[in-house]
Amino acid sequence: MPSSISSSGGSRMPSSQAFTIAARVIQQLVRDRRTLALILVVPLVVMTLIGLSFPEGSVLDYIAPALLATLALFFSFLLAGISFLRERSQGTMERLMVSPVSRGDIVVGYLFGFFIFALTQTLIILLFTIYVLDVHYYGDLWQIFIFQIVVITGAVNLGIFTSTFARNEFQMVQFIPLIILPQVFLCGVLWPVEQMPDYLQWLSAILPLTYAVDGLRDIMLGGKSLIDVGIELAILAGFAVLISTLAALTLRRGAAD
Amino acid sequence: MPEEEFTGQAVEVAQVSFKYNSLKALDGLSLQVPRGVSFGLLGPNGAGKTTLIRLLVGLLRPGAGTIRILGQRPSRKMAHLIGYMPQLHSLYAELSIIQNVDFFARIYRLTDKAERARRVEAAIRLVDMWTRRNDAVQKLSGGMKQRVSLACAIVHNPPLLFLDEPTVGLDPELRVTFWEHFAGLTKQGATLIISSHTMDDAVHCDYLAFMRDGKVIARGSPGDLKQATGRPEATLEDAFLHFVQRGQQNAI
Repeated sequence: MPSSISSSGGSRMPSSQAFTIAARVIQQLVRDRRTLALILVVPLVVMTLIGLSFPEGSVLDYIAPALLATLALFFSFLLAGISFLRERSQGTMERLMVSPVSRGDIVVGYLFGFFIFALTQTLIILLFTIYVLDVHYYGDLWQIFIFQIVVITGAVNLGIFTSTFARNEFQMVQFIPLIILPQVFLCGVLWPVEQMPDYLQWLSAILPLTYAVDGLRDIMLGGKSLIDVGIELAILAGFAVLISTLAALTLRRGAAD
Repeated sequence: MPEEEFTGQAVEVAQVSFKYNSLKALDGLSLQVPRGVSFGLLGPNGAGKTTLIRLLVGLLRPGAGTIRILGQRPSRKMAHLIGYMPQLHSLYAELSIIQNVDFFARIYRLTDKAERARRVEAAIRLVDMWTRRNDAVQKLSGGMKQRVSLACAIVHNPPLLFLDEPTVGLDPELRVTFWEHFAGLTKQGATLIISSHTMDDAVHCDYLAFMRDGKVIARGSPGDLKQATGRPEATLEDAFLHFVQRGQQNAI
């Protein structure tokens, strides 16, 4: 049978297939109206409750940067992790693994696809926090946003990577407290890292949320610029690259389970 | 055998073993499939049919032995030459039929828009789902999902197709339709490897391999296998049992 399909073409860098996958991820979520509505409404409900629960505005001002970073991590991780797991449990990942598409393209495609939604959620939270909850901040809004983009990139990749270790939804749900909760308590969200015992400080030094909280506080409370928090940004970007590479490497193992 | 040597077989499996942890799924299995035929892997559940197919498409790596697909080791480089229909429906439930098939057409690098549209339509028409092309897959019945799943596997016109239990859950009428599709594909020169545990499917295949406990216990055309029983009125079920019993006698 004649086959007019060429197997050539750049497989080294993200190819058009990554965009094909991204487009499909977006298509799927857009067609699932209820999920789409939840993605948009849940951050608003959560932020309203949090905003109302703070007795004093000054406390909220202090906690807001850490909260923004934590929620960006949490929502993005959840969205990417669960959706990527579904790809495997419904068997479509098997089809992709047998196709000419590269593992890197699959991970990058998913990253692009979820990124739109994670970004929308983060933007909603950010604007709501600043304009409705009336949190006071220094620094530029666009710089806060750029910083959050780096946080989200890492979080989406972390979700994809984590889901390769889960074989079903129940297992994936168990990873949420394991991955998210320790970061909330160890990364300076609630109390300064310096007040914890040494060994916990070391642990916090390898957790990405530590750098997200530090950087965002410096910008929002200290009025610093993206260049001032360059080290934090570089660490978060490095984390995103590392974790997406690991996700691509573990893909085959996961699909063949 | 040197790697370059290509005997022209669609599939060559030599002494392949595979274990899931300690569970032995394939045990020194050897098999050759010529080109342009429909080849049935027949056997009870747990015989190793799905494991064999997953090894052939490259989802699993053999613990021992060699596998050649169209003369090559299964890899992404030759992935465009094969089509794979997994046991699950394996479709995107929220998406429409046409969105599903078009997605896999793009994944298989059908980059020319007009050509892709033509192939997508042809694949959906082949499984007779064109009138429902804009319906979400989650609204379809099981049999309809099977048909869409087949369309996704053949949209890039692969010369070699692996179909894992494609007729499970199909009503008799649809089963006949599927086999008509398969016959049409082999007529065009494609090779089909089809797993099944029912003898209703077996009679339609050009060749069969009876599988049991991770081994091929007999191989041949349906006619040859029936003849081997020595009884003219024998069915394929009789033939399967004949080879199972002979294997047990040999073991004693």
